Amino acid sequence: MAVTVKTFTSASEAAGALSSDRSARYFGGGTLIMRALNEGDVAISTVVRAQDQALTRIEASGPRVTLGAGVTFARVLAERDLGFLHAPARSIGGPAVRNMGTVGGNLFAPNPYGDFTVALLALDATVTVAGGFGARDIPIEEFLQARERQTGTLVLSVSCTRPASTEAFRYRKIARIKPKGGSVITLAAHVPISGGRIAGARIALGSMAPTQIRARAAERALEGRSLDTASIAAAASAATEGTSPADNALGSAWYRREIVGVYLRRLLSGQE
Amino acid sequence: MLELRKDIFADERDDNLKEIGKGTQRQDMLGHVTGTSSYFNDHKLQGMLHLKVVRSSHAHARIRRIDTAEAERSAGVRRIIRGADVPVNLNTLLSLINFGKDDEPSLAVDKVRYKGEPIVAIVADSEREAFEAVAKVKVDYEPLPAVFDVEDALKPGAPVVNETYPKNTFTYHEAYDHQKLRFGDADAALATADHVLEQRYQMSPIEHAPTETNGAIAAPDTNGRYVVYTSTQALFFSVDTCAKILDVPSNTFHFIGGTVGGGFGGKVDTLTEPLAILGAMLTGRPVRYVFGREEEMQYGPPRGAERIYIKDGVMRDGRVVARKIRCYFDSGAYTRLSSYAAVKCAAHLPGPYTIPNVYGDVYCVFTNRTPATAMRGFGVTAMDFAIECQMDKLANLVNMDPMEFRILNAYRDGDMKAHRREAKNTALIECVQVAAEKAKWPLREEFKRASSRKDGGGSRAVIPPTPADSSRTRPTAPAQQRTSYDRLPPTVTREPPREPPPPAPPPPSPRPAAPSHGATRFSSVFGTRRR
Repeated sequence: MAVTVKTFTSASEAAGALSSDRSARYFGGGTLIMRALNEGDVAISTVVRAQDQALTRIEASGPRVTLGAGVTFARVLAERDLGFLHAPARSIGGPAVRNMGTVGGNLFAPNPYGDFTVALLALDATVTVAGGFGARDIPIEEFLQARERQTGTLVLSVSCTRPASTEAFRYRKIARIKPKGGSVITLAAHVPISGGRIAGARIALGSMAPTQIRARAAERALEGRSLDTASIAAAASAATEGTSPADNALGSAWYRREIVGVYLRRLLSGQE
Repeated sequence: MLELRKDIFADERDDNLKEIGKGTQRQDMLGHVTGTSSYFNDHKLQGMLHLKVVRSSHAHARIRRIDTAEAERSAGVRRIIRGADVPVNLNTLLSLINFGKDDEPSLAVDKVRYKGEPIVAIVADSEREAFEAVAKVKVDYEPLPAVFDVEDALKPGAPVVNETYPKNTFTYHEAYDHQKLRFGDADAALATADHVLEQRYQMSPIEHAPTETNGAIAAPDTNGRYVVYTSTQALFFSVDTCAKILDVPSNTFHFIGGTVGGGFGGKVDTLTEPLAILGAMLTGRPVRYVFGREEEMQYGPPRGAERIYIKDGVMRDGRVVARKIRCYFDSGAYTRLSSYAAVKCAAHLPGPYTIPNVYGDVYCVFTNRTPATAMRGFGVTAMDFAIECQMDKLANLVNMDPMEFRILNAYRDGDMKAHRREAKNTALIECVQVAAEKAKWPLREEFKRASSRKDGGGSRAVIPPTPADSSRTRPTAPAQQRTSYDRLPPTVTREPPREPPPPAPPPPSPRPAAPSHGATRFSSVFGTRRR
């Protein structure tokens, strides 16, 4: 059976086509789906596309930032108002991949990819998906936990609150090939400080579990305390709690557990 | 020396080879940077079919049953090719030069010996239909114990990877399970050395990762011939390999190559051409067989991994007096070119240094890993890495500058190499001196004055007494395996290998006095053979 490509002008029509066909996959930038097709993934029989302008919209002027699911990393990098997302966008692939790869597609990228999603998870983003009766908002963590069941879901946009200061949001991807290798581990931390104390710490990790996850024990170690050597050390030593990394060609599970605390300490203490 | 018959080849080559320091335009660069270079895969032929293979999911297993019934009924399938359809389903690449036994099938029949070994080929109207049919082939495996470690593979009772070589080692000269080098008495020298340093070095397989994956398009041509567009980096080698596997004269094929989208040694194994041509023979249509990226990375042959043990004896004054080396080449499940790598490795010992006592054992070992192949200096690069690490460590041990330590131990013109050949045109000392100068690395005056042309030879040209290995009697080496490509008349036998070499002056070079075209010539790798 040949692969069918279905192109729609509206996102809602595309969402309908996607949810009614188990072998259908949505084509964002093609960096995942075309690779799968080229490598002979016979589970995909239908490719769904949408040429809806809404999917490529960026709203970045206010405190709440919204990125259409079809926004590419190259466009994120071209947007001055999205400076806090430039580090994660730049850490993905080479220029060709960043020109095609999309924010929405990254939510589905399996390990060792999906770095942008790590940043979004630390920013407590909201994922807006097309539902039967219009759009529906899902907290990103909930979305990721059910990711395997989401292949029939069309993501419309992702939104998050801009970090209060540049200092409050930090991101680091550990790769063997710089700048565009797959992730050994990826870390993002949002540590807003109010009155000298951390309020609402968020630490997200990539390649430390089947999907991107939050390091809740490390967050607890920081919450309500000042960002100092002691709290950073406590967070670093709690970094592996709740993680379940796997072995792959880039690193072993053991290695990932060994380094995650080290890099979290460096990230939080502002070391290069 | 190479003699170029200028009377015949007047315009063949400009002998004014003054190129260093000048910019030179690569002849294929304009095509590459303008995107106009044509690769094998740029040919889209009318009625072209696509071939994909079913690969083993086990590293080592007996094949109980292959069920292709459902795949045969799958849409778009033109032909299913099994091992029995391959005219000569057992080959080894270097059989073309009478080196090694045929050990590798194009399509596995009774057993798979590495994960990803091809079992069945499917020719279909589209790649997609070929993939769908591949997913419908059912192979019933009986998993066997597998071995992935070179030294484990040599232990008694280890699983036999490849029945052609039941000891899991390549057989040299139909008698020896490794390459051996003996020069002087390394054990005695180690016993009296001021310091002894023994180290283990483990390499990893390295994938060539070409931008263009391995592939070929074969199409029926007039007069029963086939035109083959291919990514091969060894075109005539591939022609003969295909002729052997498909059991036809090599002039059946018109191979068109030329532009290789990245080779580095990973495109000499002729993995896609035989099946693409066979597909064209069986269907009468053009057939394209291209590796996917994952196939290239996982099942395309890598540089083999080596395990190297080096034990060196060094004196306080910095002279390396003994070097004892054991090296294991991980060939994977089949020979491909690793047998040759081990020969090259043995020929390289003990590195570019004059060491009076050298002992080397180099094994080509079969394991249940992806077969290894050629890659840029294979056989030498890993050993060089180990030797040079060792030289740094030895320099540190005797408190010497590592550059000066190398100059002290470097071979010089007139020295006797461990292979009983005189060192000529040596230049390591000068290389180290220039490197030190460029790096502004201080060298003491006596080392700045050292020269490859001075102080060599003399006592350094002597072949030391070399004890024979007592444990082993010398087997009589039978004639090399003969294949249909062997043009040697049956009565000509090879010169038996000298082993262990007697403590005597080197025998005269076996090179014929007056080589003539097509006559026997001596190859240090394969021995005497006839061209």
